Amino acid sequence: MIEAALPGAAVEVIDETGTGDHLRATVAAPQFDGLSRIDQHRLVKAAVKERFDDGTIHALSVKTSVPG
Amino acid sequence: MADAELKSKVEELIQANPVLLFMKGTPDMPRCGFSMRVVQVLDQVDVDYGAIDVLPALQPLREVTAEISDWQTFPQLYVNGELLGGCDLVEEMFESGELAKALGVEQPDNAQAPQAQQSAPQQSPPLQIE
Repeated sequence: MIEAALPGAAVEVIDETGTGDHLRATVAAPQFDGLSRIDQHRLVKAAVKERFDDGTIHALSVKTSVPG
Repeated sequence: MADAELKSKVEELIQANPVLLFMKGTPDMPRCGFSMRVVQVLDQVDVDYGAIDVLPALQPLREVTAEISDWQTFPQLYVNGELLGGCDLVEEMFESGELAKALGVEQPDNAQAPQAQQSAPQQSPPLQIE
């Protein structure tokens, strides 16, 4: 889902609790270049908003970076 | 569409409080592990802050903050009227010293964000205000 919203992004998602609803995503995307970190997070959250809205995901930790 | 009255109230609060935390539960009794971690960070930087428990009006407040700052998960930390972020960003900025700088305080020694607890964080109750 994140990869679809941010083409070219390297995404790693870890299920933190084994329940599938507390996830940790590490995202490196070329689209982040020039954005503040909070805007980078906004992009990731926007990509998965649907899953928050329908309750599939309860919590998502995000760590973003620009690929070097 | 967010409730206009609530939105203007929230905007007033953000302007009136230099450091304002929207959280699940209260600083003394956080109801969510992420909110608790932000409280612990703020305690470490030793800054006065206002705190608002979002649980009594979770969904209306989500709609309001989505419009105000394009962010709808909690916790949310505002400093001088600007959203700094949620738990991840607050912890990152704490460890890098950016948080202390934004708050205009000294970076504490050994600034180390509270780690996620081994056991699952205390869950907020299955509360859905629709």
